[in-house]
Amino acid sequence: MKNRWLWGRLFSSIGVLAAVLVLNFILFRIMPGDAVSTIIDPNFSPEAKDRLRELYGLDKPLLEQFFIYIKQMLTFSFGLSFLSRKPVWDELLSRLPGTLFLMAASMFLSSALGIWLGIKAALNRGKLAERIVLRAGAVTASFPGFFVQLVLIMLLARTFPIFPLRGSVSIPQPTGSISVMLDYLWHMALPILSLTLMGFGGWALYVRNLMVKALGEDFVLMARARGLSENRVIYGHAFRTILPPILTILLMSVPGLVSGAVITESVFSLHGVGTFLLEAVSGHDYPSAGAAFYMLALITVISNLLADVVYGLVDPRVRVGGRDQ
Amino acid sequence: MLDIRDLTVRYNSMGRVTAAVNGISLSIEKGSFTGIVGESGSGKSTLMAALLGLLPQRTEITGEILYKGTDILRMSDSEMRDLRWKEISLVPQGAQNSFTPVMKIKRHIEEVLNVHSGKFGEDAEKEAARLLEDVGLDAGIKERYPHELSGGQKQRAAIALALACSPALLLADEPTTALDVIIQAEILELLSGLRKSKDLSIILVTHDLPLAAMVCDRLVVMKDGRMAESGTPHQLVNDPQHPHTKDLIREMFWQRNKKDG
Amino acid sequence: MTDFVKRKSVILLICIFLIGFLGPMLMAGHPSDVKGAPFARPVWWNAKLPLSSEYGVGDTTVEISWNKLPPEIFALNGRIAADPEKEVRIIWSTPLGEKTLDTLMGSDLYWINMDGRDMIFKQKLGLPLIGKSVEHLFPSAGKYSIRIEGAEESELSLSLPGGREGLLGTDQRGRDVLTLLIFGIRTSLIVGISATLIASLLGLGLGLATGYIGGLFDALVMRIVDVLLSIPTLPIMMVLAGLWGKGLWQLVLILSIFSWMGTARSVRALVLTVRESPWVEGLRVLGAKRGYILRRHLVPEAAPILLANIALGVPGAILAEAGLAFLGLSDPRLISWGRMLHEAHSFGAFTEGAWWLLIPPGLGIVALCLIFMDIGRFLEEKIDPRLGSGRNA
Repeated sequence: MKNRWLWGRLFSSIGVLAAVLVLNFILFRIMPGDAVSTIIDPNFSPEAKDRLRELYGLDKPLLEQFFIYIKQMLTFSFGLSFLSRKPVWDELLSRLPGTLFLMAASMFLSSALGIWLGIKAALNRGKLAERIVLRAGAVTASFPGFFVQLVLIMLLARTFPIFPLRGSVSIPQPTGSISVMLDYLWHMALPILSLTLMGFGGWALYVRNLMVKALGEDFVLMARARGLSENRVIYGHAFRTILPPILTILLMSVPGLVSGAVITESVFSLHGVGTFLLEAVSGHDYPSAGAAFYMLALITVISNLLADVVYGLVDPRVRVGGRDQ
Repeated sequence: MLDIRDLTVRYNSMGRVTAAVNGISLSIEKGSFTGIVGESGSGKSTLMAALLGLLPQRTEITGEILYKGTDILRMSDSEMRDLRWKEISLVPQGAQNSFTPVMKIKRHIEEVLNVHSGKFGEDAEKEAARLLEDVGLDAGIKERYPHELSGGQKQRAAIALALACSPALLLADEPTTALDVIIQAEILELLSGLRKSKDLSIILVTHDLPLAAMVCDRLVVMKDGRMAESGTPHQLVNDPQHPHTKDLIREMFWQRNKKDG
Repeated sequence: MTDFVKRKSVILLICIFLIGFLGPMLMAGHPSDVKGAPFARPVWWNAKLPLSSEYGVGDTTVEISWNKLPPEIFALNGRIAADPEKEVRIIWSTPLGEKTLDTLMGSDLYWINMDGRDMIFKQKLGLPLIGKSVEHLFPSAGKYSIRIEGAEESELSLSLPGGREGLLGTDQRGRDVLTLLIFGIRTSLIVGISATLIASLLGLGLGLATGYIGGLFDALVMRIVDVLLSIPTLPIMMVLAGLWGKGLWQLVLILSIFSWMGTARSVRALVLTVRESPWVEGLRVLGAKRGYILRRHLVPEAAPILLANIALGVPGAILAEAGLAFLGLSDPRLISWGRMLHEAHSFGAFTEGAWWLLIPPGLGIVALCLIFMDIGRFLEEKIDPRLGSGRNA
């Protein structure tokens, strides 16, 4: 029972990934201009140009190129960058942890803060606390993220130089692993702070609405009737019940999280997959751009799948089919 | 054991004050099986809620409810919590929605055992299994989630849950509505039997007079928040005094004739 | 209808529309004109900085009283006619002494293009090559003058762009920020509205089609919707914009491709509910063709939902355009608020502390978003009671 549903999710994730791969392939092959035009010096002889094409496998028929491409994607052998002539995979690997950390930290912090505020708001209906939370939620949702980040940099990195202006690490890097880690965190503080600030509002609003509805349900009243403490009723029964939809939203927030991370990395000039994609796209570096996009899509698909699995673990109604309605 | 004295519960909704319960005085003897009969809006559900201290905030309550000598309306929150389920428990109307959807049945029972009876771990689990068997359910039910149970099974499970902490008084609010006739009979038989075996006092709340007449040893008829009449089923059926009671009896026989005819 | 027009956000929107479309026509000059010094502050900020000034230097001496900080630039341009045998000298007199800016001989016509930032200029005056020469040219408060000696005829202008310029300052090229801001309105509105319109029409069409036709077509399209919703939107838009083209209409198309899914789903849900309703059944029995039912009944039902979706979708499009422009993936020749933020970010606004390059375009984006969201919410409220049946999908 549980397994069949799980396999279903796995299958559909693979479907999405397949679609992404095909899309990726088509995208880069139908772009105007010869794929190698960026690296080809017009003064190159025709033979040299042909040899370059051969090197990048662009002289083979399209279908064959597709299969080679699939094999490459599955083995993470992305070839050499047009711009730097270095292996793309090495570059990606060095940037992956940074991007993942940024995404995970901001997702965790904004959802934690938002959930906590949402519950508090639901418990204090009609009071000032609730109204503040609702206002904050509505406001933060409508601000363009990168604007907030730029303002934060201006305020907290220039007017009051508390945080660094840009970069993932200081140059030169400090010595000692603790200092290196602290330095990294100091650089990541503003990016993560800004993403959390922009993200918590939506969470707070959503959770507040869910909690208000849950607290009005019969089973909550019954839990109270059974003489359980108020805390137990709120967290053990009401909140427990809204956990599955919360996880759904966690799942649905991942694509947005990826986009947010890409912009944030650009604003703060962080060393991540997002900035890599931007440089590759701006410089027409097809191998790098394709690989970076693939990695981001992969992250999205995997997180969605993980969220699905966790959701299934938490909501028994999904795993085990219901008898009525 | 339970002594309700001149209880009045007033709601204030949109500027208008309505009295859901208006000056009810009632006594429940230990070991009795009392039926409170009334149509919807008669105040019977409000009365039940008052006994458990579950009335919403904006209500005005006057009068006294003496349980074993103490007025429960004047109890503190923590005293109330001790009272609930350990002394007075409820089998709610529409057991469909009274279970927390994401918790297994056994968890519901184990929880109240943890909190009220000080039983934990394996003890609690064994107790839960036993309670479910007592109400005629297979022990495997304890591993199920509420949505996996049929209406009748849920009702029985709710009864098992209500009896978990061996209360002195059991409130059953319309326990047979929306169930088939056969199951209705089974549930009532179950309640009767449990009353004897567990030395329980039961208050059955229903709109169905013949039903209550079958099992209760005393009937109380409510209308518009007031007590219309009370007495033994025999008395009320054969010699009703209050016009509303007479209406209900006539209804009862008319239904009976319809079925036969 | 009247309470719609009276709403604050609608009034604001109309004002913005007027400013955005009529403003550029009424304004003299072009936004890419260099108005002053780079990174000049707004005129109402820091009064110690000088405003820009310009002086015509003819045959007479020009005298200047100076009591503020030095200007940003010192530039002398024009021509001097002289006797080739005579020596022409350009003298700059400061309260602390005179400086000969240049000595010329041997021609009868000299073209002068002096800029205080040039290395040669600094060399000629013996000034340090690093650092601002204007600080040495304007050492203190007092009287300054410039004169040409030994010339027959001179037609020069001395321009001293100051540290303060315009209502909102200047950018890294010296362009007036207020002008840029006004010209940017058009871009945001055009891109935001047209992208959303196209996406909504696409969503409407597909929603109607899948809801009504159903079957394999429906399953296929819904699958595509699922896939599109699980792809991170910004990266793919980046790829498309970067590799395909950065033009305005390419941007609009790219934005539309990724925004139709929500509308399609709502419309489809509506069609599925309405399709089974008794009155549509009745129409079918009476022999009404599919197209007729679609046109005369389903589309009007869907129209209110569409309107609300459009109003709520425009902020998304505006933000997406701003995001892409901020990343540098929009047409550099196109003035947009996102582009302004990009240039602020990439060309050193932070080091200069040039907040006037960040706040105006950013707030502009926020304002437009809030306005459209307010309108959208208002429309949603209006729809809800009327479309009770349609909403209970």
